[in-house]
Amino acid sequence: MSVDLREGASEEVCATADKMAVFLSRFIRDGELVFHGVASPLPMAAIVMAQKAHAPNLTYLNIPGGVDPRPSYLPGSTVARQLMEGALSYFNLMEIFDLSARGKLDLAFLGGAQIDARGDMNLSFIGDPAAPKVRLPGGAGSAHILPTARRTVLWRTVHDARSFPERCDFVTASGNVEAVVTPLCIFEKVDGRLRVKSIQQGVTPDALRAATGFDLGDLEPVPTTPEPTAAERAALGASDPEGVRLREFI
Amino acid sequence: MAGKIMSLTQAAAFVQDGDLLALGGNALTRIPAAFVRELARQGRKGLRLVKTAGAYDVDLLCAAGAVAQTQTGYVGFENLFGLAPSYRRSVEEGRVQVVEHACSTVIAGLRASAYGLPSQPTAGLEGSDVAAHTGFRQVKDPYTGGLVYMVPRIRPRFAVLHVTYADAEGNARIDGGAFEDVLMSRAAEAVILTAERIEETAFFVEKPDRTAIPAFMVQAVVHTPGGARPGGCHPFYDIDEGAVGAYLDSASRAETLRAHLDSWEERDYAVSAAASGGVA
Repeated sequence: MSVDLREGASEEVCATADKMAVFLSRFIRDGELVFHGVASPLPMAAIVMAQKAHAPNLTYLNIPGGVDPRPSYLPGSTVARQLMEGALSYFNLMEIFDLSARGKLDLAFLGGAQIDARGDMNLSFIGDPAAPKVRLPGGAGSAHILPTARRTVLWRTVHDARSFPERCDFVTASGNVEAVVTPLCIFEKVDGRLRVKSIQQGVTPDALRAATGFDLGDLEPVPTTPEPTAAERAALGASDPEGVRLREFI
Repeated sequence: MAGKIMSLTQAAAFVQDGDLLALGGNALTRIPAAFVRELARQGRKGLRLVKTAGAYDVDLLCAAGAVAQTQTGYVGFENLFGLAPSYRRSVEEGRVQVVEHACSTVIAGLRASAYGLPSQPTAGLEGSDVAAHTGFRQVKDPYTGGLVYMVPRIRPRFAVLHVTYADAEGNARIDGGAFEDVLMSRAAEAVILTAERIEETAFFVEKPDRTAIPAFMVQAVVHTPGGARPGGCHPFYDIDEGAVGAYLDSASRAETLRAHLDSWEERDYAVSAAASGGVA
């Protein structure tokens, strides 16, 4: 059992983590087959809360292979054994890739160290791939899932110009990106390019422009992202009472 | 209880410098941790590692200077501790060659080997730089004319797997997520098992459909309770975050890495040396 991570985190960080989990969960439609991979506490919390809230009939798939697990607590490693607890069947990673290849995976959440104006992502190299300045972990399944899943939603907990460049240093994965969730805004991909769908409450258009490495166009008509509702907050609190989602921030 | 049971030291000695090894488990779950510590103690060099998602296992072997190449989809400590520091440094300093994969292309390469084929078509990769960087080629499907990426065969010399239950001959059951372990056992030339529990053969006869790895594929069995630590192993123990953190603190220098390996030595050797008649 892990400790309550909320105790050691600032109010601001807690609020950002809560919002991002809620905003990710809103992309899940009831009845969908939904997957997250390694290093994914925010999507894990988002899926479990959606199951308790607006999408009780979703099917939750993960790398350990537990289909629709009911974990006793959310683990800090999102491939840990708790994600098989309470599962009724077993469907492992290679079967999930095959499922996605068949066009049957509805929604997958994937992270990126860089996400560019085209919605492509990089988890491989910063700088020249032949002599990288930073060797990133690698994209795990993203190069397969992004082009084959019906929809994917990307997220990144840091929104700055380095993380959101015009073009990634290396394209680890490209494909069916519906949206990107960040602490500052939600992007949607329209005609092959990211466009701001909504701005998080309290973030000014100027601040968003300054934090983004590609042109955002006219932000005047862009609405504010609706804040989490009381029901969403309650579902998130019940799903991740120890604040494992904060692992992405601290 | 003789069969293929041997000490950790004996089993690790099968691995030669430069071997291609598939490591079982995923991230910090059911990893062959005791075995990779022993490879580091024995000073193995030039290893090439295959894994979908690695963490402690790949990083420790990089820290020990034992690795020449990785064929992986992901190496890192997730959100627990972030980037894998020794792996990262080894790549950035040019000591370890990255054969960049998606987890799915590792699986495709292993499938090619398991299926007895030179290569394996795979879905995905469209728009990604991974295919060009690693050299995955496209062919025209002879029936539809569509283009398909082909991943060359990955045939490890050994699949090194930490399983929950094995018998002395190498029949093995994996409780909890099996990840790519079963595929690795079919893709490799031979299998080395470390096992939490050694069971009598009757345990396997009762439910043969649960025996994921048949004995005829297995070259060595090592009894290593706690062999995945500091990773977790269902149903016996969880990831020990404190111990993973202690590793990361010690992995940056040769002397402190040695101290890390020494601190695990008694636990790593305790049961396997006794079970093999004390021959180390």
